[in-house]
Amino acid sequence: MNNSILKAEGVHTFIEQHHILQGVSFAARADAVTVLIGRNGAGKSTTLKTVMGLLPAAKGKIFYRGKEIQKNKPYEIARMGIGFVPEHMGIFSELTVEENMRVAMLVENDASARRLERILTMFSALKKFWKSKAGNLSGGQKQMLAIARAIVNDTSLLLIDEPSKGLAPIIVDVVIDSINQIKERSVVVLVEQNFYMARSVGDDFFILDDGMVVKSGGMEELAQNEELQSRYLGISKIED
Amino acid sequence: MAEATPVQMFHMEEKRRQYRRAGSYLKICVLALFILVPFLFPSFKTVDLAVQIIIFGALVASFDILLGYTGILSFGHGMFFGMGAYCMAFLLGKYGMPSYSNLVFGFMVAAAASAILAMLISFLTLRVKAIFFAMITLAIAELAIVLATKLSGLTGGEDGISFMMPGIFSVAFSTGNFMGIEITGKIITYYFILLSCLGLFLMMLRFTHSPLGRVLQAIRDNTQRAEALGNRTFVYQSISITFGCVMAALIGCLYAMWMEYVNPESSLGVMTIMLDVLLMVIIGGMGTLYGGIIGAAFLKITQTFLPDLQSLAKDLFPEAVLLHNILERWLLLFGILFILVVIFFPKGVIGSVKDRGPRKKNVP
Amino acid sequence: MAETIFKRWSQELTLAGAGILFLLPLFEIQPKTYLTLTIAGLAMGMLLFLVASGVSIIFGLMDVLNFAHGALFAWGAYVGFSVFQLLMKWVEADSVLKNFAVFLMAMAAAMIAVAVLGIILERVVVRRVYGNHLFQILITFGATIVLVELIRVFWGPNDEVMIVPHTFSRNWDIMDVVISKYRIICIFLGAIVYGVIQLILKKTKLGTIVRAGVEDRDMVQAMGHNIYLLFTGVFAAGAGLAALGGVAMSIFSLQVYPDMGGTYLLFAFIVVIIGGLGSVTGSLVGALIVGLSYNYVAYLVPWAAAGVNVLIMIIILLIRPTGLFQAGK
Repeated sequence: MNNSILKAEGVHTFIEQHHILQGVSFAARADAVTVLIGRNGAGKSTTLKTVMGLLPAAKGKIFYRGKEIQKNKPYEIARMGIGFVPEHMGIFSELTVEENMRVAMLVENDASARRLERILTMFSALKKFWKSKAGNLSGGQKQMLAIARAIVNDTSLLLIDEPSKGLAPIIVDVVIDSINQIKERSVVVLVEQNFYMARSVGDDFFILDDGMVVKSGGMEELAQNEELQSRYLGISKIED
Repeated sequence: MAEATPVQMFHMEEKRRQYRRAGSYLKICVLALFILVPFLFPSFKTVDLAVQIIIFGALVASFDILLGYTGILSFGHGMFFGMGAYCMAFLLGKYGMPSYSNLVFGFMVAAAASAILAMLISFLTLRVKAIFFAMITLAIAELAIVLATKLSGLTGGEDGISFMMPGIFSVAFSTGNFMGIEITGKIITYYFILLSCLGLFLMMLRFTHSPLGRVLQAIRDNTQRAEALGNRTFVYQSISITFGCVMAALIGCLYAMWMEYVNPESSLGVMTIMLDVLLMVIIGGMGTLYGGIIGAAFLKITQTFLPDLQSLAKDLFPEAVLLHNILERWLLLFGILFILVVIFFPKGVIGSVKDRGPRKKNVP
Repeated sequence: MAETIFKRWSQELTLAGAGILFLLPLFEIQPKTYLTLTIAGLAMGMLLFLVASGVSIIFGLMDVLNFAHGALFAWGAYVGFSVFQLLMKWVEADSVLKNFAVFLMAMAAAMIAVAVLGIILERVVVRRVYGNHLFQILITFGATIVLVELIRVFWGPNDEVMIVPHTFSRNWDIMDVVISKYRIICIFLGAIVYGVIQLILKKTKLGTIVRAGVEDRDMVQAMGHNIYLLFTGVFAAGAGLAALGGVAMSIFSLQVYPDMGGTYLLFAFIVVIIGGLGSVTGSLVGALIVGLSYNYVAYLVPWAAAGVNVLIMIIILLIRPTGLFQAGK
């Protein structure tokens, strides 16, 4: 895959003594949404955190636009144009929505102001609660804020960890909507357990199981393969 | 690479024990040395040095039960030590008189008082973070010193309390000669202290190798997992702390027996007793009771022979004024040594030698 | 039901209780003495705040318990002392302007010197023990020993008398109430510093980032900010605050001695336990409580003065272990 924006090769990651990632390899190509999908504990979050530099890669390489980044610090990686939305959303509850966004904005000029305007149009709730403490927002609004923060800089790659977690289905649709808008400007790598979510936005998929990639391909393929779904995602074959 | 389970670690340690036959011989040699000190080096200075090493070796071991085995740093250990010393001083001096019964009484009162205080402090502070324990014990220890100084009516104030030992332990006592040395009360006291400290030390060893001791090590290494065992961690830690503090108090009693004098600065002082204990435990090794003896020996010997070292330096390098200045400030050197040891040899001398087995990955 | 009310309003109740307690001495003490004591207490409180706030912020952001803070405080005092010695003429001059000028210079010199010391300390020593509280305490304790001994090497081991600029040593006599000028200056100093800190934290981008970092260090890093630079900066700032406290305190107590850090470090710990680790407002309130109670009790029952603060600390630990204020305020 030559036009892959992000590539991981044989990445191993340990958390204390536990060997979580046991050789993960995947690639995210430009102009597509790549989904890392799998059960609980498969290593999806760990993969994103390793890409972001929050966890050290014990072995293997990670390439961003052809450059090796596995040894870089998280803030260096962020400054390369990679945005990160963690599993627990990571919003600063004691700070206002405005302050959350200000911490996120690395530069403040005309271009960034325009981006901010666009983002606030997409997430109108944030405009409404601009001066409120972020901790007072609802779950869905917090997720909006987390995503807004991650794309306010000139982000070319967005890493999102389980955005639909704990959200009501109506809100999930809003999230799906926003990701579909975002993917026009940035490459998105999404980690999900929720298959409905994955299918709605994803173009490519990589299934993670026990710290390794066991299957990959195009999303339509996966959508039709019920056997894969039940084996690796725990989705029962009996539907409707 | 799966980590070793506690049972596997137990077996590994048992294997290592067998390798330590050389270590056992060493221990017996050291013990024999201490037994023979009054005969080999009859000067008071040396015997006193030996007592200091014995006492502080045991004290540091009792401190290590808290620090190395339970993972809790307490700045109050000097206070418990001083408490024991003061109990002895009260019963044999200020509020009593030198007698064997008072001597025994002294030990008992010291043990009881320290146990109660230790349990109280544990209850108060362990419910919060363990780091608070350090700050709070520091505050309480300083308070104890202030009280001991200010309430001079009760405690003898800054001047302290002098007292005498009863019967065979008293300075005036003598049973004639044995192998060329006069057996005075001091000599008898020396052997009493040696035997008692040996006994206390063995008790501490037993404690750490007991099932309780192993649970404590598990708690120390991974508090979160241990807490999954239920809210018992707090209870175990309290027991361990109380045990260590009671030991310290008893050792304080023995120290008072030797010095026949207590005062706030030298018996309770943070910058005196506590500082020495910390230096010794770090240099000797945390989590290994024997480390205390090595640390105590190293520190005490250096302190005793430092004046000689200083004059030697003056003779060899009469021009190096800065060198003299720095040697005067030997505490500075120890402080730097302390920091270096904490950074590079967190397990001290003994710990680093022991630690040849599978090492855990410590993220710096 | 009473319990829930107590839990929800424990902060307000404690403050109200403290307020009432502080008015009680009026029964025992004459109003004029009470006023003098109150001012003394507030002044002492403000100085304690300067030291404690550094410890609190450093812990809040970096999760580091800095036992070396007392030594930094002492260094500040000694640097100030040297500045005064150097500019002895200005100190002894009878001009308010010159007195204030040399005072400000001493503060500036102390803050800068100790901030640099703080940077060295953080990079060389503290950085190696992030995440491990036990080793932090041990290593900063070791650093304290080294720093205090260095004071003895550079300035000599004796206690020194601190020379006080003329303006500061005078008192005002208003209607028979003796009010020390310097105490009022200290109160203003503390209030200004508190105001500046709050301003920086709430109104500047840097302050916002620091507040965010207190909540979630990793996230701030993942958003592109060099957290290590931030740590060093905050540590240096905390050190500077301690130095400021040292200069001010040495003029207050008229002496400098190598171990002066120890006593005040202890007070600082009591203050942060009462006020809450990680909260600047908590440090202020805690410090004022400690300062006032110490002074009132010292007048009424001299030997209990040291103990009363430990007592308050114990009470707080029993009813509200995390301190009066939450981290980040």
